[in-house]
Amino acid sequence: MAAAIQRRHRRRFPTSLIARHAVINVFLVIIVLPLIWVLLMSVKSLPESYSTNFWPRQFDFSHYGFVLTRIQTLPQNMFNSVFVTLATVAITTFCAILGGYALVHVKLPGRMLLIWLLIASLFFPTRLLSLISIYEIQRQLGLLNTVVGLIFPYVTLNLAVSVLIMRGIFEQLPHELVEASRMDGCGPWRTLFLVLLPLLLNGIVVVAMVNFVGVWGEYLLAITLTNDQATRTLPVVLASAHSGMGQWAYPRIAAVYVIAITPGIIIFALFQRLYFKGLTEGAIKL
Amino acid sequence: MATVTSRVASAARTWRSTYRMADYANLLFLVPATFFFVGWQIYPIIRVFVLSFTDYKYLERNPPNFVGLQNYINALNDPLFHVGLLRAFAFTAAFVPLTILIPLVLAVLIDRVTTPWLSSFYRIVLLIPAVIPGPLVFVLWKWLFDFQIGPVNTILVDWLGIFTRQTAPQWLGGTPLSLPAVIIMEVWWGLGYHTMFFLAGLAAIPKDLSEQARIDGASEWQLFWRVIVPRLLPILSILVVLRFGTAMSVIDEYLIFGGFQRTSPTYTWTVYMYDLAFRIGDWLQGYAAAIGWLGALIMMVFVVGMLYVFRSRD
Repeated sequence: MAAAIQRRHRRRFPTSLIARHAVINVFLVIIVLPLIWVLLMSVKSLPESYSTNFWPRQFDFSHYGFVLTRIQTLPQNMFNSVFVTLATVAITTFCAILGGYALVHVKLPGRMLLIWLLIASLFFPTRLLSLISIYEIQRQLGLLNTVVGLIFPYVTLNLAVSVLIMRGIFEQLPHELVEASRMDGCGPWRTLFLVLLPLLLNGIVVVAMVNFVGVWGEYLLAITLTNDQATRTLPVVLASAHSGMGQWAYPRIAAVYVIAITPGIIIFALFQRLYFKGLTEGAIKL
Repeated sequence: MATVTSRVASAARTWRSTYRMADYANLLFLVPATFFFVGWQIYPIIRVFVLSFTDYKYLERNPPNFVGLQNYINALNDPLFHVGLLRAFAFTAAFVPLTILIPLVLAVLIDRVTTPWLSSFYRIVLLIPAVIPGPLVFVLWKWLFDFQIGPVNTILVDWLGIFTRQTAPQWLGGTPLSLPAVIIMEVWWGLGYHTMFFLAGLAAIPKDLSEQARIDGASEWQLFWRVIVPRLLPILSILVVLRFGTAMSVIDEYLIFGGFQRTSPTYTWTVYMYDLAFRIGDWLQGYAAAIGWLGALIMMVFVVGMLYVFRSRD
């Protein structure tokens, strides 16, 4: 019996195996092709960029230098993006760690209500609906058209998800650890920062990543709340640069584009092991 | 067993005795998150709700008047709002099944890859789009769909020869093809992320279950429908509801792809709301608020309905 199964298995094995890998690889090509196209576009010469060649006839790497030095506001725009992103990721991660801890390991009145509120907010089009009044609030606070002002609404973009992810991570931690730390006389704050923090790395990576991706490319709030070229962030600049002429010739836009998407891919490559681990531990269970 | 219960009991006792007095002090942990939540999420939404009962125009100097339900009545009779909702539903109906079923199949395929390095290689490549922020994805695809230099048309004309340069499809600029263009892009963007969801679900299915089913003579097809799909149902249903919510309230990609052209299939109720609030005339934010809330309420009816249908029955 077992031998028969073995034989059947072996006979069917190669074709299904090859077909499976072929299908997966078709998807991989579809994923990668647009990115390779934009990468190649960024090293095409100016005249060639108007042709439909996929592979450049000659490589021209000067566009990266050009966009970084010759487009006036671009360094400022990049700085804006980096600043807003770092600040938002740091603040949101901090809020999420404290919030997740409070929802799991600390006795808290009304905890279930808070959790339900957070989950409910994921299904509601909050970002869209709050926009009209966020504009007004920012105006009253004098934060319209400022880079710092963007941080406040940005923190809320993924805050609910971040708190829920951290809650998932805290639930994985052994309760005995918290108890032991309490027996030793640590208060809830010291328990969190001295005992638990090193164990949260996976979760922190996922939360930071989610917020990085959300904020680094945020468009709707940025285009609504900022007005000057100098206060704009990179995605807004990129979305408005499609003329294909002058300083925004196609290879130059492509170079800015490659610069814009590279940090995310590098961070992901560096932390992917922790990211996948954190993803399966906390994020998916939400 | 006894030691476990006594340990839990004593732990519970110390917990209570140490921390009962400090319960309300523990609310401090929530202060940072609450500050942002209330300030830039809950308060604005309530304020928009209040605005929706007034004739508030941002650029007008006169103070707004209370107009009761007039904005809502106007919205319900506004053909642009009707069309906008229908367009959002059309997009959702085409996008949600595709963005869930394709990753489901892909996840089943990748789950069977037994070579460890190959399996993680596939996962990493698939997740690359997930670390590219949405609006940057939209900017890229707007370019890919370009009539002149876009590689999508290059592939269709030069490589596959389906069209000539003259008859090549116009993907952008408010043509009927704008909708499929957005859908293709969105599916591409979500492919890896959703596949990861299903892979996590598949990892939780015991391997000997499918082995047993195979030994019992189940075909791969039966295995998929009888063993895998029922166990992925919780993930599947939560994804359907979440994606329904995001698909109905999509706005960034419509703004980037279609702009404010009213005849474009990308001019949905969300773009209309933005148009009213920040562009048309005196910025009719009272009316825009009513459009926003009405759209959100209609969405919520569907979300609650779906959550009820998908509720766990055990």
